[in-house]
Amino acid sequence: MRRLPVYFLLDTSGSMYGEPIQALNNALSGMINTLRSDAQALDSLWISIITFDREVKEIVPLTELVNFQLPEIICPQSGPTNTGAGLDFVIQKVKTEVIKGSSTQKGDWKPLLFVFTDGKPSDIQFYRQKIQEIKNLSFGAVVGCAAGHMANDDILKELTDNVVHLDSADSATLKQFFKWVSETIEQGNKSQGTGESVTLPPPPSEITVVI
Amino acid sequence: MEETKRYLKAFLTQNKIEIPSGKLSLFDEFIANENNVNSVKIIQENQRMIMENWKLKTRIDDIMIQAVSIPNGTVNKKYEAKLDFTKLNWQDIVAFEIKGLENTGLQFDAKEETLSGTPEISGDLKIKILFRIEGEPEDAALNEKTLTLIINPDPKSLWKNLESDKNDPFYKEDNVAVSGKFLDKNIVVASKRGRSHANTGAFREDDFAFKNINQTGWSLLAVSDGAGSARLSRKGSKIACDAVIQYFEENFTEESLKEFDETLLLHHKQSDESSSKKISHFVYNSLSKAAHFANKQIEEFAIKSETELANFHATLIFALVKKYDFGYALLTFGVGDCPIGLLNKELTEIKLMNWLDVGDFGGGTRFITMPEIFQSDKFSTRFGFKLVDDFSYLVLMTDGIYDPKFVVEANLEKIEKWNEFFGDLQGNNEDGHKVDFSTGNTEVANQLSTWMDFWSPGNHDDRTLAIIY
Repeated sequence: MRRLPVYFLLDTSGSMYGEPIQALNNALSGMINTLRSDAQALDSLWISIITFDREVKEIVPLTELVNFQLPEIICPQSGPTNTGAGLDFVIQKVKTEVIKGSSTQKGDWKPLLFVFTDGKPSDIQFYRQKIQEIKNLSFGAVVGCAAGHMANDDILKELTDNVVHLDSADSATLKQFFKWVSETIEQGNKSQGTGESVTLPPPPSEITVVI
Repeated sequence: MEETKRYLKAFLTQNKIEIPSGKLSLFDEFIANENNVNSVKIIQENQRMIMENWKLKTRIDDIMIQAVSIPNGTVNKKYEAKLDFTKLNWQDIVAFEIKGLENTGLQFDAKEETLSGTPEISGDLKIKILFRIEGEPEDAALNEKTLTLIINPDPKSLWKNLESDKNDPFYKEDNVAVSGKFLDKNIVVASKRGRSHANTGAFREDDFAFKNINQTGWSLLAVSDGAGSARLSRKGSKIACDAVIQYFEENFTEESLKEFDETLLLHHKQSDESSSKKISHFVYNSLSKAAHFANKQIEEFAIKSETELANFHATLIFALVKKYDFGYALLTFGVGDCPIGLLNKELTEIKLMNWLDVGDFGGGTRFITMPEIFQSDKFSTRFGFKLVDDFSYLVLMTDGIYDPKFVVEANLEKIEKWNEFFGDLQGNNEDGHKVDFSTGNTEVANQLSTWMDFWSPGNHDDRTLAIIY
């Protein structure tokens, strides 16, 4: 069976403390429920959740949607945003976890990566080093999401062309965003069969696509 | 007496009251007083009770906040999870009940500590655990803890089965299954629309055709898989199959085959370089023309309907078989990712008659509609020839069968995989669906069609399977 591996890299730095992290938890849980009712997703989707603040944590290792259980994501009250370290962790995981096809092995679909942040990288140099490595891995799509007025769109834009901006990290906006993420995942599931790259569905009005 | 003395002394000290040496005998008298003795007893009893109560409360709270995770379930799929009381450190639970399992299809076996059954509803089930721990009074209300059990919907129930448009000019029946004679053997073919197509009301894109060619003694079987990305591939696959039949009906005459019959007889008696060469030459000549004819027929149709040839992309495999006194001759051609397998009489050998066009990425293959395949250096390797005394099965299939049942290319050359495959066909599968390959079984086509509904996660393409036996 071909798996569709999807990596979520989530910002849990100090600024997310309080209402934003609660909103993120709710939105993620809503997204998982939506995906559970999609026939294709239930069959092929594997999800990994990684958070970054001062430390990088693998909250849920790459797990089949059928067996997936979302724990509550918590964040410290203060601390830096080590986005670069987060990317580095994702790179290592993709290299070891995603299966390439051969005459004796069925390969995975190209993996998807969603990066969610409400600030800018504290380890900017390391972050920039890792961007090229991310680009060299054959992701079906990398989507950057900048939430709130502190998030830096331009720095995220260096990582990927697909950057969206959320005006705030409140519950309603995040819900809309993750609904769109699940639509993107469902799309990725279908069109990749022909070897084309993933076309992102049009985002809802709460989300601004950064051009 | 000593106990009362110790207690009161400590109590007075705690309140910073010293007993002067002159009042020691008064104190002795004080502690001997029955009222005081009783009071100390009551106080100590109450303190002990308070302590016990506190311990109980914290223990209950510990259990309440303890993270208990149980594996997810899926509707209609057998579920069993153990609530291991030892591992959970729940040995002090003396009364235990589970509520909220009504109408879920699950039961809790208290003796085995297992939650099991076949889930009937999906969602986040809130299961109530009612419990009492050691030390709580027997008439106390049970404590209540909620456990979330995630039940996935049955993936099968999520797939829609939308009818395809009967008025479409290229409409094709969603499911077909036929059986008949093929030379002195039997043939059964079933072709089914995949769930991914049914889910959106799209058409079946696979096709097949078989026929005895005139009075020549040759019979032909063709299978084609229309490309998922091509808009009119269902028509492409149909034209491809019909075209090769038309070609051989027009070009295979007794006259034209006389020399080849003689060559085969010679080859059977004593195969040498010359006979092999002659055979190769004949196979290449006749089959390549048929393949080319198929390509041209589709091209003509595309031009006539004023649309691009690429809209008709389809793979094509076909096999010509004839029975001679000295055995069966098999000629094959293939482009795309559909295999042709020949199993010997004893089921000890598999001959894969063609190689598969598989790309680096999922879905990447080649089609009969691609003019470049005819110019490629590898074109001459697309043909197969085999002369055998007899065989048990000749199998042609599309990737809708090959992907779930053989998974990877390498397995197509393993006899044990083919034996597994036929074991599966003959009933060794979770649905217990059986195809009876004995001659005279008039139900064989329906049986194959039913078997082909097998469930395989992630494999929802059209399925076509043709077996000569």
